[in-house]
Amino acid sequence: MIPLPEADPGQRIVSLHDVKFTYDGGVEALRGVNLHIRNGEFVAIVGGNGSGKTTLAKHMNGLLRPTSGEVMVSGKPAAGLSVADLSRVVGYAFQNPDHQLFCTTVEAEVSYGPRNLGYHGPELSRRVEYAIEAMGLGGFSELPPLSLNLGQRRRVSIAAVISMDPRVLILDEPTTGLDAGEIRVLMESIGELNREGRAIILITHEMKVVAEHANRVVVMADGRTVLDSDARGVFADLEVLAKARLVPPPISLLAHRLASSGISRDIMTPEEFVFDMMRARGGP
Amino acid sequence: MSGFVDLYTAGDTFLHRMDPRVKMLAVLLFSLLAFVLSELIHLVALLAFIFLLLVLVRASVSRTMFALKFVLRFMALIMVMWPLFDPSGTPVLAELGPVKVTVPGIVHGLTAAARVGCLATVWYILIFTTAQRDLVRALVKMGVRFDIGLTLAISLRFFPAFSFLIDSVMDAQRARGMDFAKGNILTRSKNYVAVLAPAVVTALRMTDTISLALQSRAYGARADRTYLRDLRMRWSDYVAASVVMIIFAVPVFARFVLDIGV
Repeated sequence: MIPLPEADPGQRIVSLHDVKFTYDGGVEALRGVNLHIRNGEFVAIVGGNGSGKTTLAKHMNGLLRPTSGEVMVSGKPAAGLSVADLSRVVGYAFQNPDHQLFCTTVEAEVSYGPRNLGYHGPELSRRVEYAIEAMGLGGFSELPPLSLNLGQRRRVSIAAVISMDPRVLILDEPTTGLDAGEIRVLMESIGELNREGRAIILITHEMKVVAEHANRVVVMADGRTVLDSDARGVFADLEVLAKARLVPPPISLLAHRLASSGISRDIMTPEEFVFDMMRARGGP
Repeated sequence: MSGFVDLYTAGDTFLHRMDPRVKMLAVLLFSLLAFVLSELIHLVALLAFIFLLLVLVRASVSRTMFALKFVLRFMALIMVMWPLFDPSGTPVLAELGPVKVTVPGIVHGLTAAARVGCLATVWYILIFTTAQRDLVRALVKMGVRFDIGLTLAISLRFFPAFSFLIDSVMDAQRARGMDFAKGNILTRSKNYVAVLAPAVVTALRMTDTISLALQSRAYGARADRTYLRDLRMRWSDYVAASVVMIIFAVPVFARFVLDIGV
């Protein structure tokens, strides 16, 4: 494992100040977003299709530049930095792994990013090995990425970003199209990256994954953040969720339905539900 | 972005409503006419007429400039270069060693530039006023085999999709530190591979999916395919076709039958 550079855990690493963005065609995708991501946070960005999640994320590594407002990365204005500069701090794994895999082996694929940043020799090997290990791709180093299944390809695409050792990792819908087993393997690796101190920004429609992993949830609707709170608070607020066209995980919904029988409304996992039900009945 | 890949812009002008077969005929004849005409003044007149059409179909200036940007540069290049390499005729305006700039040389340059302008603009008007599916429908109606027409339609349809794909791949690689502006020729060609390889693989996958989707919607089940919207010539289309043919026939008749220089 590569020790991350010294960083104050609560320090703001990415900040957006009143960011507005309008696409060339005139679509107003962001209508004034204020958002601060701190070191080590696990933030889920949720919201309906077209609510501005991906547009927002693309501002954090400079792929899009705000029409107005300011983006700060590591305390510096992003406006003066290229995407390549920003990629040292903010890693971005795209939704479709096939949009970035082009090398003949997983190892070569994973080394492309750090080589672009100028790393070579033992430092390069260390980063590549670390990334391959972190994403559970140990046996696949010499295989062509395109011969792997979707779940594995997605892990390769994330390893290809991790090897650049970013402090912030943006994952755009990483669980799409994966079965429950693949999601579990993937999310365990991501959780480990978070425990190492990396901030994770997860764009997703998968509320179960949000409930299990995120410690902060940002709800977007119509180009604005409509709710920014811990996951528990978000899933208890059915009204705002409905406005953002979101449905909490089934177990939270069940808890809401059973609220009149004394079950708490802020249940997020089946374990919590069982525990709370026992409490409501007066102990085991 | 994708709006600029498909130059067609929906509208309700007489050219938008015209049968695509008539428009294709007009474009062919006007293109031929640009070669038949050899006098600068006549080509400028034709160019003026074509620009009038551009105004009548309410083409936006920015879109037209975008579409014809390269043509305009090419025209400027012709106007500058032609006189330098065409020393024919008198009077001579300037002479420097082997380079001789003459008035006829300049006129020839302007003529060639006007011809290029006519050709490009007339095709642009066709694409600007005709949806791709109507172009394909017209070709099929004129006897092109349906499967070839469909292939053409799908290629045109996927042009914007492919350009969107390229953008997405470029974003993904830039997020991995790729910098198109930096590096030597080797790094740069490697960068192109990084963009083209995923784009081609994804495009091939897309192609495969489309063919499966077509088959599962009974593509090729019957030879005599029916259509939801059939092309039908209206009286205005016949009038337009006649006007186009007259505009074409007069100079051709003058030049090749009466032997008058036009």
